[in-house]
Amino acid sequence: MNNSLTKKSDWGTSYGELVWNEFKKSRLSVACLIFIIFLFIVAVLAPFLANDKPYFIVIEGKTYFPLFRGLKATDYSVFLATFTAIVLLLLIRHNRRTLDPSVRGGVLIKQVGAAAGILLTGIIVIQVLVPHRLDAQDYKSMIASGRAEKAVFAPIPYGYARTDLQSREQPPSPEHWLGTDDVGSDVLCRLIHGSRISLSVGFVAVGISSIIGIIIGAILGYFGGRVDFIGMRIVEIMMAIPTFFLIITIVAFFPRSLFNIMFIIGITSWTGDARFIRAEFFKLRGQDFVLAARSLGLPLRSILFRHMLPNGITPVLVNATFGIAGAIFIEAALSFLGFGVAPPTPSWGQMLSLGVSTTGRFLWWLTLFPGLAIFFTVLSYNLVGEALRDAIDPRLRE
Amino acid sequence: MTDLLKIEGLNTQFHTEAGIVKAVQDVSFSVKKGKTFALVGESGCGKSVTALSVMRLIPDPPGKVVGGRIFLNGSNLLELNEKEMRKVRGNRIAMIFQEPMTSLNPVYTIGDQIVEAIRLHQKKDPESSWREAVEVLRRVGISDPERRVYEYPYQMSGGMRQRVMIAMGISCEPELLIADEPTTALDVTIQAQILDLLDELKERNRMSVLMITHNLGIVAERADDVAVMYASRIAEMADSQTLFMNPLHPYTRGLLESLPKLGEQVDRLAAIPGNVPNPLNFPSGCKFHPRCPICEEDPRCLEIEPLLEEKEPGHYAACWKV
Repeated sequence: MNNSLTKKSDWGTSYGELVWNEFKKSRLSVACLIFIIFLFIVAVLAPFLANDKPYFIVIEGKTYFPLFRGLKATDYSVFLATFTAIVLLLLIRHNRRTLDPSVRGGVLIKQVGAAAGILLTGIIVIQVLVPHRLDAQDYKSMIASGRAEKAVFAPIPYGYARTDLQSREQPPSPEHWLGTDDVGSDVLCRLIHGSRISLSVGFVAVGISSIIGIIIGAILGYFGGRVDFIGMRIVEIMMAIPTFFLIITIVAFFPRSLFNIMFIIGITSWTGDARFIRAEFFKLRGQDFVLAARSLGLPLRSILFRHMLPNGITPVLVNATFGIAGAIFIEAALSFLGFGVAPPTPSWGQMLSLGVSTTGRFLWWLTLFPGLAIFFTVLSYNLVGEALRDAIDPRLRE
Repeated sequence: MTDLLKIEGLNTQFHTEAGIVKAVQDVSFSVKKGKTFALVGESGCGKSVTALSVMRLIPDPPGKVVGGRIFLNGSNLLELNEKEMRKVRGNRIAMIFQEPMTSLNPVYTIGDQIVEAIRLHQKKDPESSWREAVEVLRRVGISDPERRVYEYPYQMSGGMRQRVMIAMGISCEPELLIADEPTTALDVTIQAQILDLLDELKERNRMSVLMITHNLGIVAERADDVAVMYASRIAEMADSQTLFMNPLHPYTRGLLESLPKLGEQVDRLAAIPGNVPNPLNFPSGCKFHPRCPICEEDPRCLEIEPLLEEKEPGHYAACWKV
């Protein structure tokens, strides 16, 4: 594939490189991006950072690896997905350096297809092969009682599902850096594991709602007239329904699972995106380059999603950052009301709601730390979204 | 000489809140193979709407082609469905626009944009389409095309962008190129280069050109046949030599007289009195009569709209008084 047509020095900068060069001009947004990446790393490595099982333990001369044995199918799936994503990013980087721009598109589609295939089969294989082990051993007491000679624990040696009724509702202390909750679980540990839930709820829900919103908005905005009139009435009907109560109603009929929550948030919150894209497309469809694209006989799909969408996607990107924040909040509220993910699965919103304990005390550490986590995550997404908007807009480039 | 494009009785209307705007009324003309046909007129007289009607790109709603037939090599474009029409656009008829600064998509390299058209119509693989894009850029006189294909529109000047637009237009070797005021946004030296390029490509590809302009100088130099449009109708039509030597319609005469002439000392340029009529409220009878120097309150001019008639062989005009 590498019989390049032109000299490498002629390739110029790609669109991605242009956007990145603009993006990195703002230190704050780079810092926020780093924070989000940090959150992702924490979420992926959660079982290694906070776990009540030791990395290894030596009992009567024999070495065991309880932490690795205790990894669940979900953990393996997360690792596989992360690994595939990293390989894909490296491949894109490699393409950019070695392949001519004319063939990059085709190669990239093949690589993405292969990666998706590997990921899907991998996840299915993992679900089938990895057994669900229940390991209720208390390794810490083994060390204390001297049964085990040696053990190395994770930096936060508590499990998110481990309850300890002796240390309920404790404020931050050297043992529990961020305190404990009403059943004695370590707050920092639950915060780390909760990042998985919060990040995935935000991403998947916003992904679903953006795709629906973009497709509907694009069609309404491009065709206008009667199509738009009918479509907008449907959008308005959707908007008139109080989303949160609709979600509560739907959740009441379906099992409490994380996926259901993501899906329901996704299919109920696309109206904003649809309206943004519709407004952008109204503006764009009269522009010369769209007329020029039509006059070349390009198919509708290409005109809508290749030529118009990149020029009108910015409000959706910015909205997506708010959407991620909104989804985290909705998930928190649902968890607060008891419709969210079921305990002991940790989520930031659920932890926040434990701040007012059943005994009536105000447990500030249970409100402050998850609150800060939500605050910084939401802030970072918003700032990154705004920087991205400025970087993508070709009119702001000199 | 055979007609490549033949338009018969074209009527295009726009439904606005203020009423129906008849943007094109009863326009008929034909573009011969390998020739340049110029459509001249003031802004808003219906030139561009005629061109967009041929491409079937009138924004609908509010616009609609309500009557007439448009034949390309004998087949009526108005009877094709959207899918068939897409095969005509870009492939058999290409169009270039007035404003090169906004006619290219700002988010893609120019190579991407040319390659998309080539791949669509010629079903070529990416590699050879890309090669062809370089070739077509070289043909429109862009220096260093191997490097330029990877540039973005914002990295190019107006003249360069118009060359790119022409390159996109001719990349699939269309039979007809519609140039909607291709040089209006460019400065004079670039104008001449672009027009020379169009002439050269016309010769080489045996392509016909439908040139839409309000610049009579361009028409005199480049066009084989001319139609002058006024208030959504054709006022006069002839080959360009006849039209410039012997204009019949008082509007054409007014236009020619109002051109500044080299070496002639005048205090004021001649002008046609009055303004272009409002398309929502055209005057009765001949639409030109309120501004016409030869009408002299003739009741025919005031009441009945004159139709395009052959006044001399091959020379048509819509006027009662000639």
